[in-house]
Amino acid sequence: MSFSQLLRREVTDLYRDPWLLSLASWVPPLLFTVMYWLFSQGIATDLPIGIVDLDKSGMSRSLARHYNAAPSLTVSNDYISIERGTRALRAGEIYALVVLPEGLEEETVRRWAPQATVFVNSQFLLIEKIVSSALRQAHGTFVTRAEVVNNLATKIPVIDVALSSALPIGSQITPLFNMNKNYAQFLVSAILPAIWQILIIASTTLSMALAQRRYGIGLWLGHSPWSSLAVKMGVLTLIFLLHGVFFLTLMYVWLGWPMRGSWPLLFAAQALTAGVSVGVGCLFFLLTRDAARCLSLAAAYVAPAFAFMGVTFPVSDMTLPARIWRSFIPVCHYIEIQFPQVNYGVAASSALPQLGHLSLFVLPLLFAFILADRQSLRRGGQMPGERTHELF
Amino acid sequence: MSFFELLRCELRAIFTNPAILLTVFGGVVFYSFLYPLPYANQIPREQRIVVANLDENQLSRRLERMVDATPQVHIAARTYSLEEAQRIFFEQRMAGLLVIPEHFYRDLLLGRQPTLSYGGDASYFLIYGTVLQGLAAAGETLAAQVKIKKMIGSGQALALAKQQYTAMHLNLRSVFNPTGGYVNYVIPAVFILILHQTLIIAAGILGGGQNEKNAEGAPGYWRDAAPLQLLVARSSIFVLVYWLLCMYYFGFSFSFYNIARHAGFAELNLVILPFLLGAAFLGICLGLILPRRELATLLVLLSSMPLVFTSGFIWPPEAIPALLRDLAQFIPVVPATKMFLGLNQMGGEFSSLQTHWYQMWLCVLLYGLLAWLLLHVQRRRCAVKPPEGKESGQKEVVERAR
Repeated sequence: MSFSQLLRREVTDLYRDPWLLSLASWVPPLLFTVMYWLFSQGIATDLPIGIVDLDKSGMSRSLARHYNAAPSLTVSNDYISIERGTRALRAGEIYALVVLPEGLEEETVRRWAPQATVFVNSQFLLIEKIVSSALRQAHGTFVTRAEVVNNLATKIPVIDVALSSALPIGSQITPLFNMNKNYAQFLVSAILPAIWQILIIASTTLSMALAQRRYGIGLWLGHSPWSSLAVKMGVLTLIFLLHGVFFLTLMYVWLGWPMRGSWPLLFAAQALTAGVSVGVGCLFFLLTRDAARCLSLAAAYVAPAFAFMGVTFPVSDMTLPARIWRSFIPVCHYIEIQFPQVNYGVAASSALPQLGHLSLFVLPLLFAFILADRQSLRRGGQMPGERTHELF
Repeated sequence: MSFFELLRCELRAIFTNPAILLTVFGGVVFYSFLYPLPYANQIPREQRIVVANLDENQLSRRLERMVDATPQVHIAARTYSLEEAQRIFFEQRMAGLLVIPEHFYRDLLLGRQPTLSYGGDASYFLIYGTVLQGLAAAGETLAAQVKIKKMIGSGQALALAKQQYTAMHLNLRSVFNPTGGYVNYVIPAVFILILHQTLIIAAGILGGGQNEKNAEGAPGYWRDAAPLQLLVARSSIFVLVYWLLCMYYFGFSFSFYNIARHAGFAELNLVILPFLLGAAFLGICLGLILPRRELATLLVLLSSMPLVFTSGFIWPPEAIPALLRDLAQFIPVVPATKMFLGLNQMGGEFSSLQTHWYQMWLCVLLYGLLAWLLLHVQRRRCAVKPPEGKESGQKEVVERAR
């Protein structure tokens, strides 16, 4: 078949399977939007904490109000005993339990330095980090204020000196590249590429499965296996490149998140990633020759990709087996181009090693072509209509 | 067909289906080693930072040493100008930046409150938190030391000064995962999701495959089985197989990775039952609706990421849009994650987690009824249509041959 015939066959086939058509058209934008929507609040606010106030003094109440005033926290409940409070903490109703001991006010006034104890639920690590830093900050300002008042009242009448004596070293904390500590910007920009890769491999499988169902792989590959496969890969790559461009546009144009790097480089990286992912998907299918088994294999391969991308847990701290596994996943290399480009705006040349790694995926691609060649009619592959798998 | 014959047919259908076996046994065992792999080191340590020391005296150098001594950060470069520090930060992809201002020591002595500037790469959030924790801890310790020295200088006894350098101490205690390990954080919840998702895939592949046969008009034992019997047989096989896999995850895997196991044996099993039943019924429903086997895998695969992030262990449920949060409540894994984590990781009492348990049973009821209805529909359709189905099957063969 000629190139234009192959192309026409590929495009018309796309319309034959409503599932494939959805995957290639509206499903990716919908999933991307839903994932963004999930994190659209960006900053976690009003996380519930509980207080056990055993002092019931003016100071303990004002401290509780101070915690409540922190934007990330809200005091959702006062518990009459530590037992009640711990039960709520264990049930996950509150993320932290503040225990203000008896005699808090009296000891503070007498400068005996009492201690407020906070139990923070660290099972949810990200939430714990938000809650503890908010508590630490709220406590710090409260104590400094109390000390300044004390200093002014007793020995130091000058407010600047009273302040520096309470807080000798000031601190200025700057979250670089993500100024307002927006979680959406941090997580979504990694989640979308991960989902994108899942979509690419799933669609490739469905598209190959359609070819098998409709023609039988041997007949579909026919006498021109290389061009048949190449056209399919080309069409799918182009479609998913468009989806890639869509999610980048969604994040860095519509949502206006800062983008400091080079657009053409990102698009090129996406084209390469999409291409090799499609190739890996084809390889899986040609190896299993069965849609269900192929998707199970693909699930094992791409579903955990997010964990290996090194966004939540640094790559430098991963063990060697983990680093080996991640080097087999295209999107892990892609994200190492996207993040530095977007966040630091580094020179395009620094993306060369990652682009090189991605190009190495040519090998599985080649393997897919060789398999296709062997399964095609040219090599006496299966006959038309022949069932390639048994259902039971 | 008697119930036991049906059971035997179902068992044969499941255990001779390579796609199901690959997903159930291959997938579950493979994931149990693959997923914890990136987090094997538990905590990010010794993140590289650059220090710009504009003061250059013994106190600022001591601060440098204190920062370097924290487990969280490692000073990979020292510079004496801000521009140099910025350049190194960008070029070597440092995780953080500490600026010790000019006249730091003098201002401290004069009581002018010098300001330390910490910067962290917030595009990697948990790394940012780690770096900041290390830098702030060192800074706070130095501040406390300075305060104590001043108090001693003004005639306070050392013992008292050590106690009274602040008006009120804050004793922040991490509970349930005191070391802040990533394996303990991610794995318990993800394992529950893996069990849920692979169970749904397996049931979906079985049902979808039978739908393919129905469409071809091929005979099958499921077509003349009583719906209730088929539902009971199928769900009990899947539940039993997955009960064993649950034992493998909650027993072997958790102890292998040193993950907390606070739940009592009876309580744990009491939760496993509605969890597996709910997931099995949901899978059976999908299997009855979806025309082809691979579509169940597809739906589950696509839903995994949204489910991970709506189940509330990463992003707080309070911050999730209400509509998404409410929709997620219909998926058995969402209440199950809360329940399992509460019981097993946080040592919660069954009674205080009961609402999640009832919610799981509601899911069981919902999907159980739906599956039963769908089985009735399938039986009726199969009873009406066999000849027509055969015809279309032939047509497809002809078309394929063309």
